[in-house]
Amino acid sequence: MAARQMDPDAFFQVLKTRRVCRSFTGEPVSDEHLTRIIEAARWASSAGNRHIHKFLVVRNPDTIRNIRSVAPGMLSEPPAAVVILTDAEAARRESIQLELDTANHGDVGTAAMNMLNMAHALGLGACPVTSFSHSGVAVMLGLPPHLEPEWIIMLGHPAPVERNLNAGAPKPLTARDLTWWDAVGQHEP
Amino acid sequence: MPDDQPAAEVRLTEKQALDMLAFLASSAEISLHEPTYYGTFRLIDAASRLMGYLLESNPELADSFMPAWKADIDTRKVWMMWDRPAYYQFLKETPAVVAEEIRRREEGA
Repeated sequence: MAARQMDPDAFFQVLKTRRVCRSFTGEPVSDEHLTRIIEAARWASSAGNRHIHKFLVVRNPDTIRNIRSVAPGMLSEPPAAVVILTDAEAARRESIQLELDTANHGDVGTAAMNMLNMAHALGLGACPVTSFSHSGVAVMLGLPPHLEPEWIIMLGHPAPVERNLNAGAPKPLTARDLTWWDAVGQHEP
Repeated sequence: MPDDQPAAEVRLTEKQALDMLAFLASSAEISLHEPTYYGTFRLIDAASRLMGYLLESNPELADSFMPAWKADIDTRKVWMMWDRPAYYQFLKETPAVVAEEIRRREEGA
């Protein structure tokens, strides 16, 4: 489908209604859904079309529990997770110096964002996790040295959670708060 | 707990103990680069996780103060992400829960 045939309101609705989900029911995530989520990641923008990342799908509960033990950012045990890996051998083939490269983490982020939105569109909950011990996760997953875990995406069917916002809680930022038009400090177009 | 009474024993499985050790060591590592207030979050989350394991392995604790305190921590710890003043106030208040439990036991109530 050409982009111009899409319904921008429907698309924006997916973006706007997505929230980070940290509580999941025990219902497994189907392989069909996981495959669609990975497909969404594959179609994320990739600097220079380099595609130096791999996506490791984890469904074994024992492995997920082990990962969580070294991932303080995983506040619950999801039924599935996708670990985004940087493949240093792929990077070497592309003559990328990872220690100097500034696009790598951007590409991790775009892949993650596509997964979060696809999961939401499928009725699933998802949460990106960046707070974990890279060496610990590498051991838990038996990763070879050329694969570096970058982000973990928790996936599952969302459990209902009361958010319990205080009446005096800070108001959420708006797009206007974050935007300047043509000059720094100019909030109006 | 009065000195002349034996302390009740609670247990963790080896797996639970190792998970806690891994969590604490990993929290120490990531505290090297995370915002400083995340350190407080890791500590209060460790308290919640420890209670989770204790409740898993010691069903008799279901009647203790722990289920309610754990639920309260799990509800309010995440305020760190969107209402930091309320989160800090929660951190100031919550040690009183376990302090009161220690006093209650000391007094044999």
